[in-house]
Amino acid sequence: MAFDLTVLVPYLGQLADGALLTAEACFFAVLGSFVCGTLAAFAATSAEPGLRRIAGAYTGLFRNIPFIVQLFFFYFGLPEIGLYIDAFTTGCIALSIAGGAYAADVLRAGILSVDPGVVEAAKVSGLTRLATFRLIVLPIALRASVRPLGSVFINLILTSSILSTITLNELTGAAKIVASTTFRPFEVYFVLLVVYAGLTYLMSLAISLLHRRLNRYMAEG
Amino acid sequence: MRYADFTWHDPIILLQGLGVSLWLFLATSAIGLALGIGLALTRYYRVPVVARLVQVVAEFLKNSPVLVQLFLVFFGLPAMAHINVTPVEAAMITLAGNTAAFVYVIAVSAMEQVGRDQVEAARVFGLTRGQIVWRIIAPQALAFAIGPLIGLAVNQLQVTSLVSVVGVMDLTKVGNILNMRTLKPFVVWTVVGAVYFIIARLIAALGGALERRLRAHAAWAGL
Repeated sequence: MAFDLTVLVPYLGQLADGALLTAEACFFAVLGSFVCGTLAAFAATSAEPGLRRIAGAYTGLFRNIPFIVQLFFFYFGLPEIGLYIDAFTTGCIALSIAGGAYAADVLRAGILSVDPGVVEAAKVSGLTRLATFRLIVLPIALRASVRPLGSVFINLILTSSILSTITLNELTGAAKIVASTTFRPFEVYFVLLVVYAGLTYLMSLAISLLHRRLNRYMAEG
Repeated sequence: MRYADFTWHDPIILLQGLGVSLWLFLATSAIGLALGIGLALTRYYRVPVVARLVQVVAEFLKNSPVLVQLFLVFFGLPAMAHINVTPVEAAMITLAGNTAAFVYVIAVSAMEQVGRDQVEAARVFGLTRGQIVWRIIAPQALAFAIGPLIGLAVNQLQVTSLVSVVGVMDLTKVGNILNMRTLKPFVVWTVVGAVYFIIARLIAALGGALERRLRAHAAWAGL
């Protein structure tokens, strides 16, 4: 069978729907993992040993268990305790929690690189702990962390393909259907490879822009 | 009749699944390591077309989901090239190729880490190119690369769980079967998750010990 991409033309709409669903899931997952990661990083760098231990357990646990196992745990487990939510929401929650564990480690490193003098100055000025974190520490930490955070988010896009295993017809799920309709799996999955590479490239572009914006007051070189 | 309860067979099946996962992990890591280092050498020796091609392919493998790569090999190859690929073979090809791409990137940056002046000094002493790679660059590059390689190993163990999707009887697939039979997702997935967690921590601990050994010469020995 010759390599022929034209057979896919009638199915482009179906694939585009899948790509849109992937984009939506990734959007919520990026937001969710940033929130989870920030909370965990706040706990990991706090003065309270108990909070630090909880944050350590969270990142250790979710970074060392395969995402597909976590996903099945939520997808099959949540209905067991009476929580009936659809596959999309389950997927977004699982992605947010797993991505948050990686984001937390990146943000923690960024926070620890903030000059202690800055934090002391904020304390002396009478800012509360939360205000210090939100207004002083986090913006400074983000300048250093935005690039490594970007690779966490790129990984999140790639991981979102696993959502196809819980009946969600995002990009990979849609492609599976197209592959079994056209009997052209090689072409379909080859195109998919290129599309995912394009999506991650867009993400890295966005991160570069954000990096430049966050560092706009920094002196050049 | 339904056997919905856990039986004493279940831990044995789980161990068999663990065996398949570990075997896949070790085999693909070994192949991927050798392949990745070999490909990094094409770049070091500046092999004309190959080096560039390898770089592009590695970039693609790094920036696409392993699941899609697995589908491409398992469903795509048989349709395109008319060869039969069993689930285990597809898993081996995909995981080895994916590991090789990441090892390639780590190896390239580790080799660049070794100063140019050392290579020049070695050349002045009359060492051949092979000797320079083996005696000067390899030991230092390894000490630099060992940390990222251990991180990669922990990650690749988790990636092996994806092969359950094409029907390889690994730990995750066994978990899936037990889950469907017993309908006790919390118990099954907690046990499966705990097993992966323990193995990942073991790999990290072993890697940490290895790293300390490799870097022993660079550590502060005291006066």
